[in-house]
Amino acid sequence: MLTAEASRAVAELGHVDVVIGIPSFNNARTIGHVVRAAQGGLAKYFPQLRSVIINSDGGSKDGTRDAVLKASIEDPRLLLLNTPLLPVHRISLPYHGIPGKGSAFRMIFAMARQLGAQACAVLDADLRSVTPEWIDLLLRPILYAGYDFVAPYYHRHKYDGTITNHIVYPLTRTLYGLRVRQPIGGEFGVSARLIARYLDRRDWETDVARYGIDIWMTTIAIAEGYRICQSFLGAKLHDPKDPAADLSAMLQQVVGSVFALMEEYEAVWKKVTGSRPVDLFGFRFDVGLDPVPVNAERMRTALITGYRELQEVWALALQRKTLEELARVCQQAEAQPTRWRLEDDLWVRIIFEFACAWHRRRVQRGQLLRSFTPLYLGRVASFVLETEHMLSAEVEERIERLCLVFEQAKPYLVSLWDLAGRTPEPRLEKVSAEVKT
Amino acid sequence: MIGTLRAILEQSWQQLSATATSYLPPLLAAVVILFVAWLVAVLVRALFLRLATTTWLDRFLAESGLSSIFGTTRPFRTAPVVGAVIYWLILLAGLLMGLNAFNTSITSRMVETIVFLLPKLALASLILLAGVWIGHYLARSALIWAVNENLPYPRRLAAGIRVFVIFAAVVAAADHLNFARTVFVMAFLLVVGGVVLAGGIALGLTLHKTLERRWVEKSQTAPQEERSLWDHL
Repeated sequence: MLTAEASRAVAELGHVDVVIGIPSFNNARTIGHVVRAAQGGLAKYFPQLRSVIINSDGGSKDGTRDAVLKASIEDPRLLLLNTPLLPVHRISLPYHGIPGKGSAFRMIFAMARQLGAQACAVLDADLRSVTPEWIDLLLRPILYAGYDFVAPYYHRHKYDGTITNHIVYPLTRTLYGLRVRQPIGGEFGVSARLIARYLDRRDWETDVARYGIDIWMTTIAIAEGYRICQSFLGAKLHDPKDPAADLSAMLQQVVGSVFALMEEYEAVWKKVTGSRPVDLFGFRFDVGLDPVPVNAERMRTALITGYRELQEVWALALQRKTLEELARVCQQAEAQPTRWRLEDDLWVRIIFEFACAWHRRRVQRGQLLRSFTPLYLGRVASFVLETEHMLSAEVEERIERLCLVFEQAKPYLVSLWDLAGRTPEPRLEKVSAEVKT
Repeated sequence: MIGTLRAILEQSWQQLSATATSYLPPLLAAVVILFVAWLVAVLVRALFLRLATTTWLDRFLAESGLSSIFGTTRPFRTAPVVGAVIYWLILLAGLLMGLNAFNTSITSRMVETIVFLLPKLALASLILLAGVWIGHYLARSALIWAVNENLPYPRRLAAGIRVFVIFAAVVAAADHLNFARTVFVMAFLLVVGGVVLAGGIALGLTLHKTLERRWVEKSQTAPQEERSLWDHL
């Protein structure tokens, strides 16, 4: 699994207690800061442990790897340390295989296992708000409290992380019954036991190799009963996403992974009702956040165009009643550009019906997921209009309400899922009535 | 006079009876063969639909995304399609056997032609089917991509791709059957040439506009930078 270069590095290091993994691709601007924060965190909070920082790079052309190797804390005294330090090793290696974050993680995990690490934390390379405390918060629950998976919990701008807020968080919470607020956050702490489980799986060559990795890790940890907690990390500030990045492809990879895991863990999620909170470590405090510019008008247009052009594809995935309601929403969006809404119950039904269409293979799966993009943009546009004047706390409450709608509608998902392949038109009215009651 | 008339009538009656005696039995035999073939076809189809376990094929078609190309809201079932093919093949075999019962040079030649043409027709049909499948698949992919990229006229783009791929399949099928080969190949080359030319023009215009915009931006930014040096004064 490891390249010759990686194997050599493992042989040289011998054994370590802790691994910090940083996947990267053209992050020269920010990765130095992330490496310094990781170094500082290891030196300050785990000075007695042998540790290594592994940068798994996807072939950067901007000197990312040099930035990793050059990064170091200028003056360790500033960290107020009074214990002797073990050196923190730094390695930067290119990974092989499908280009993507998942492949980078695979190499980090494989090295962590070979090195005999007890715990591994992974950090995104584009972070601007990472501090040494993050390392402590991601690793301590694993090293000293017996947890297997630490998910991040941070404050984000109300329009940052919309895939999380509108799809992944409510759906994961509804399916598996645990309120992991940032299931695709990007920063995680993982135990050796869970790393071994990840590496033993055979689906690394799927969407998991790309953006699907985060939800894949979280879902496996939840569905297979590993001990999970969250750590409050403050604010998440990161570089803006690459404008050239294809939103449609990203959405396809993330949502496709959620649906694929739904198939795998069908027996688990069908038994779950409601949801419960997850242990949260760290001291919670308020922080200032960078504004996230959004263009609601462009997203509204995308929904209307999508409805006009992609009806034939949506008709294969959505129930007749849902499609009719969607038509009404699109008409409103066209007639009243600032007063229309894509309401929660309709949105929930769209998600559930797309999941079942994916399960049933009514449309080629890639096409189905790509046709979902205008609907997602429409939902975000509607949400932006609705929450324009709301504060972060109010928006959080609004997302909580959405989650409750998801949870209430779960019987509808189960019945629709069970009907998959048997009859094309489930008795929607009956199921809807059940959901309402 | 009456004798001549009677002779003519007798002759024509003899000819008619001769024709009837030579053609009626084969015709009756042909009808019986056709009827039996139809009966067998119906029975075999019913038997096939009752016994066939094509769920693995349905699953394969669904999983490979091939069945979704038909665009039906109901799950695609292979058994009725295979049943229909069996039905028509048996009926065709009956028709050929019925024609053979006449034992004339024309019918023999017809049967021979059909028998020799059959494998070619089957392959040509497969080529066409594959073309339609691929055309639909690519058209839908192009439609979704064009919508997500906010390109103008996505439906026309998808229709163009569908027509182009199906036309390519028709050309290949006609070539295989050796049917109006030159006409189809020429038409195909004209279409391909047209597409390449249109693509070239579009690319040229886009490049021209991009370069023009870059040039304008560059020429506009320079004086702004210069002006900003003096603005604070």
